[in-house]
Amino acid sequence: MLTFDPAIGFSSAVLAVQSAESGLKDGFGTNAIQDFLVGVKPEYVPAWAVPLTAIGIAIGIVLAIVSVLAMFSTWLERKVSGHIQCRFGPMRVGWHGWLQPLADGVKLLLKEDMIPLGADRTLYVIAPALVLASLLGAMAAFPLTETFYFANFGLGIFMILALTSTTTIGVVMAGWSSNSKWSLYGAMREAAQVVAYEIPLGISLLVPIMVAGSFNLIEVSQGQGGGYGILNWNIWPWVNPFMLPAFVLFFVAILAETKRAPFDLPEAESELVAGFMTEYSGIRWSFFFMEEYAAMFLYCVVGSFFFFGGFESPVTSLAESVGGTNSLLHQLGAASTIVLKGFAGVFLMMWLRWTLPRVRIDQVMTMGYKYLTPLALVCVLGAGLWEAFIAPHLWWRS
Amino acid sequence: MNFQGIYDRIRSIQAPGVTGMDEPREPNPQDKKDKGRSGDPYVLVDPQRLPEFLECLRDDPSLKFELMADLTATDPSKEDGYLWINVQLLSLVRKHRLAVKCLLPKENAVMPSSVSVHRGAQWAERECSEMYGITFEGHPDPRNILLPEDWIGHPLRKDYEFPEEYHGISCK
Amino acid sequence: MSTTKTYEPSISRTEGRPLAGGEREYMIDVRTQDMEVNMGPQHPATHGVMRVLVRADGELITGAQPHLGYLHRCAEKIGESVEWLQYLPYTDRYDYLAAMNNNLGYSMAVEKLMGIEIPRRAMMLRTLCAELNRIGSHLIAIGTYGLDIGAFTPFLYMFREREWMMALFEKICGARLTYSYIRIGGVFNDAPPGWLSEVEAFCDTFEVKWREYYDLLIQNHIFVKRTADIGVITREMALDFGLTGPMLRGSAIDWDLRRDTPYELYDEICKDKAFEIPLASGEKGTLGDCWDRAWVRAMEMMESIKIVRWCLDKIEPGPVIGDIPKTLRIPPGEAYVGIENPRGELGHYVVSDGGKIAVRCRVRGPSFVNLAVLEELMPGALLADTIAIIGSTDIVVGETDR
Repeated sequence: MLTFDPAIGFSSAVLAVQSAESGLKDGFGTNAIQDFLVGVKPEYVPAWAVPLTAIGIAIGIVLAIVSVLAMFSTWLERKVSGHIQCRFGPMRVGWHGWLQPLADGVKLLLKEDMIPLGADRTLYVIAPALVLASLLGAMAAFPLTETFYFANFGLGIFMILALTSTTTIGVVMAGWSSNSKWSLYGAMREAAQVVAYEIPLGISLLVPIMVAGSFNLIEVSQGQGGGYGILNWNIWPWVNPFMLPAFVLFFVAILAETKRAPFDLPEAESELVAGFMTEYSGIRWSFFFMEEYAAMFLYCVVGSFFFFGGFESPVTSLAESVGGTNSLLHQLGAASTIVLKGFAGVFLMMWLRWTLPRVRIDQVMTMGYKYLTPLALVCVLGAGLWEAFIAPHLWWRS
Repeated sequence: MNFQGIYDRIRSIQAPGVTGMDEPREPNPQDKKDKGRSGDPYVLVDPQRLPEFLECLRDDPSLKFELMADLTATDPSKEDGYLWINVQLLSLVRKHRLAVKCLLPKENAVMPSSVSVHRGAQWAERECSEMYGITFEGHPDPRNILLPEDWIGHPLRKDYEFPEEYHGISCK
Repeated sequence: MSTTKTYEPSISRTEGRPLAGGEREYMIDVRTQDMEVNMGPQHPATHGVMRVLVRADGELITGAQPHLGYLHRCAEKIGESVEWLQYLPYTDRYDYLAAMNNNLGYSMAVEKLMGIEIPRRAMMLRTLCAELNRIGSHLIAIGTYGLDIGAFTPFLYMFREREWMMALFEKICGARLTYSYIRIGGVFNDAPPGWLSEVEAFCDTFEVKWREYYDLLIQNHIFVKRTADIGVITREMALDFGLTGPMLRGSAIDWDLRRDTPYELYDEICKDKAFEIPLASGEKGTLGDCWDRAWVRAMEMMESIKIVRWCLDKIEPGPVIGDIPKTLRIPPGEAYVGIENPRGELGHYVVSDGGKIAVRCRVRGPSFVNLAVLEELMPGALLADTIAIIGSTDIVVGETDR
């Protein structure tokens, strides 16, 4: 339970580091790979190569997950937009066009990779890689189940927020190095927008963090267990009435963070042609694309962890009661729950994109600084008071 | 107000620059060559006093030609020594229109700009000046509007010679 | 991107006239060096190949200068080189979104010189087609305006209805975009059997769908926020620049050529009070802002439906074209006919010397005239507002450049 101890920040940080260590020991993510490698390692391979190879394999898996996520998201986006707009979307490649992203990927790989004449070549080449790399790093902190993860940090959410905001640097680099004024406009808008919305995003996440008393995604999810897998979700007003407004603020902020409509100003295809991506082509361009979809999914997963029960759902609790804790069935239930919750959020973001017009830059700034940030602070204050004075007396919270 | 009423009013307020008028008429049955004239009646105005004329008509309470619908020019034929300046005026309050025509000599096609009276004339005059080679004195922005800056000749003149090439692009 | 040409400021504001557009004050205390940005010729929001040289201080626009001529196809020169009837297909090409109205304007100008009567059924079909085309044109205008603001979906919804309208036109004249259906002396062909009832079915469906578009786009909160108070054209400014059509009615000036200088059957329609002229009231912001113009266009679509219904109600069998020779010899004279195009007054000034070919064939394109106001509206707006302003003038570059 949360107490108003001035040392709380420090102690929780220490606790988080400790739990991170234990997670690394207990988890069977990287360690499972490592155990496997130790088993098959020939004699002449030095011992230090084992963890390095394990890390390489883990990076490969994350990369594959991100690519598949991005591919599936592009397919989903095209289908969702198609059906919203009274058309089918891709239908030719595979059943209902499900192979379309593969075809697109091949096309993008074969496309000519162009670098504008006046561009700053180094920055121009680094920018998309930086954007994707920071997002991949953030993806590493996403646990698929309670025991399947790549990096279980005690300060997991901090790492995700820190690494995803690094993408902005890549975007600004891309816009600056392209030697195009439209790209520059896009980059500047992105910088202004992300800075403005990081604040309400972080502050609104403090509300569930306070309730859970942890920054760790898995612990936050475990804190919402019980109640048939649904009744103890943070979002419900009987848990904390300030959670719902905090979620709305969080959702608006992630829309702005991921440059999705109505906040797609850095790209703004009717104003800035394609914003910071104007001069990019081929696979470099697709890096930005992958980043966008992976970031959408990641933020939605974060939202599910902190507001919508994380792994907890009736399916998970049923699987747990049938197969027992940490059985394969339970793990499958947890993994499918979190992926489905993530994609539900992604679908909502797509729905909004194909419904709403775009707001103007001054309106974005006004909303971020004048409304979302103060409201998020109010939510934190209210939630803190609730946690300190009312929650201890509620029998379902004890 | 019909054309006759408008013309009478123009006469009675002594609008500047009016030199006459023309109305459509039936062909003269005696004269085989006379085919008559169809279409709209118009008021003939001295081109050098056109802005004053337009201002007078704009501010007159019973005419109130406050909207200039169009300003254009016409080159009637190669032989003719005059260009026509055709102005279409519209009064939204009195719900009537008026066609105004000026005869501008081709040798010295210079006339004052009407932009100070109707700013809608700005682009119309730019178009006229590039297409017919008319110089509008006092025009705030006398550049070509539809043609490239370095286009030679005035395409809508009847004596216009089409260029052989433009920046290496064959035009014929 | 940048040009070496120096920026020449547009005409200074005339003394004693009210200022409009770009009057909003932003809290900008950091002034940087101005930057020149070329918006166009290939830009998604210039509705074709138009270039606006924008001078910007960050996101704030300090000056704008439209550059036209990228789509100049010498329509007026062609008018002086081909026969009267041969010119008709060229009229389709300047305002390609309202080709029926262009045909009508040109035919009426020539008919005025000829002094001929049009069969009543032909006039009915002309009015009907012109109004249907107005609906189609406004659908594009509002749809692409939504697209400019960032709403993609209403655009495709509106294309669905426009597709139906084009299918109707395809049935009556065989073409989907460049119709050449309205001819000198009447119309090309009578409506095929069952066509009129199909038009009625279109009207029935459209009235339902229109409500959807109105709620989804015109009344959308973000759309209102983006367009209200932007690009304000005052009454004086509208008259000064010679604006016509929805641009004029968006500034609450009660003027519609269909009612005020009736042509074809419009005096009958007006006597029956079959339609009204929607006038903006500055409901969401300042009178004469971008939202008002979009609203006027939306409302005009419903009024056009009323006129179409009136025509369907009153239409009777009869001839559709008079006895017109293949090679026309038009009596000498000059005539100007202005009709209410979806974008404003479409004027045709034709001069004949009695021959087979026109001496002068002037087209007063409403887009060309309406666009001139851009230089005035842009300074003081934000970069995103420039898109909203260009979109609200509803230009067709084929017509500005002709």
